[in-house]
Amino acid sequence: MSYSDIFKDHLANPRNAGELPDANVFAEETNPVCGDRLRLSLRVRDGRIEAARFLAYGCPPTLVCGSALAEMVEGKLVDDAKHLTRHDILNAIAGLPSRKQHAAALAIEALRTALKSFRV
Amino acid sequence: MRRVYLDHSATTPIDARVVQAMLPYLTETFGNASSIHQFGQEARAAVDKARRQVASLINARANEIVFTSGGTEANNLAIRGVCEARQTSGRHIITSAIEHPSVRGMVEYLEQNGWTITRLPVYDNGLVRVDDVRAAIRADTVLISVMMANNEIGTIQPVKEIGALVRGRRESGQKHLSFHTDAVQAAGRAAIDVELIGCDLLSFSAHKMYAPKGVGALFIRRGTRLFPQQIGGHQERERRAGTEPVPNIVAFGAAAELARQEMVQRNEHTARLRDRFEREVEARIETIVFNGDRRQRLSHVSNISFRFIEGEGLLIHLDMQGVAVSTGSACSSGTLEPSPVIKALGRDEELARGAIRFSFGKDNTDEDVEVAVEAITRAVESLRAISPLVRESIAT
Repeated sequence: MSYSDIFKDHLANPRNAGELPDANVFAEETNPVCGDRLRLSLRVRDGRIEAARFLAYGCPPTLVCGSALAEMVEGKLVDDAKHLTRHDILNAIAGLPSRKQHAAALAIEALRTALKSFRV
Repeated sequence: MRRVYLDHSATTPIDARVVQAMLPYLTETFGNASSIHQFGQEARAAVDKARRQVASLINARANEIVFTSGGTEANNLAIRGVCEARQTSGRHIITSAIEHPSVRGMVEYLEQNGWTITRLPVYDNGLVRVDDVRAAIRADTVLISVMMANNEIGTIQPVKEIGALVRGRRESGQKHLSFHTDAVQAAGRAAIDVELIGCDLLSFSAHKMYAPKGVGALFIRRGTRLFPQQIGGHQERERRAGTEPVPNIVAFGAAAELARQEMVQRNEHTARLRDRFEREVEARIETIVFNGDRRQRLSHVSNISFRFIEGEGLLIHLDMQGVAVSTGSACSSGTLEPSPVIKALGRDEELARGAIRFSFGKDNTDEDVEVAVEAITRAVESLRAISPLVRESIAT
């Protein structure tokens, strides 16, 4: 299996890793089949995601999609973030083999769960 | 970037002396060993010599060696070949829970075709118990297949005791019972004497002992009944049809001879590096678990589970730092298959997912150990920094 350079860069240098001490939104999703986990903490003010952090356990695509997601949503309007799809994540990391794309779906689920209390 | 290869259980580089031995058979001495003319007879003489060299590694007779395409074919031929030959006497097989996929898969295939299988447990040390083997033998058991050394954790099974047990059963009338051992990981690394073990069949492979991929062998004790699986040629005394890959066989012979001559010094070297590696990893990284019995194992293998992280992430991290290792887990389509071997030790899911195999070779150096330990420390720190499991363990 070969991964892209951007994928490896996310793995070696995860963006926005950790947990925000002053977060006001949390979400955690688990893949029920493989047990991969993604935890997202966001600080949302005035309809904008001011800061985003992630923690992840599982296969490399799960870790990398968490990193890509946290980097992507930071600074975004909640309304815009709600429209992100797994394809946006896959584009940001130059794609994944089809059997690994569930990792991007897990990241988007975590984001949707986090933002569901915010109405568009 | 300095590259460090710590995956010698997967495959080994070809020894330069082995390359030299096989080179003439890739060029001027190209004959088919079955041909009657001089070209063929030169090839035949080379195959005969290699057969003696390979036989000598395990204290077998040359005519008890059948060359195959590798370890997988040898395992397949042993199990299916014996079972097909013996099925009128019974359809029960005993095997262990930690066999290589080439044994496990063939046994599953036979199970789907009506055979009954007893899979012996291993305990937290990764070892089969002889009492369990004894208790599992039935009147209709025709084959016991227990590996000599495990491919992930390197534990060496009590094959000598199992062999003695099988001999005893045969002497008391159970003539149709055979004992096969997969020695792919052990051959060239541990001293093997088929007379001492008392096995009827033993599989091994060239590329684990500094020879090329594409050739292996099955020891078939004289008098053991076995149906061939490759049909359509007289090669290998009718037991494996197909033109012999002469250069590979010559290389296998040369590598087997070198392994026999250098085994003690190679083992001392890999054991010293492996033990230093384990001491340093243990000193630098917290919350790790060594998998498998640490005394009764091959000298070159270390298998470690790193809590809170998953093996494939660690493997890729290390690869980016030039260090090649391996993991027994596989993830695809959202289905994770943690290593069945580590699971069989009774480890929890997280430890089974976080297991990594480090396997040393004769050409590794102390500097390789230092580079690897540094790389592992960095990689584990980095992955644990993003793991939610670390925080949860602190919270509890």
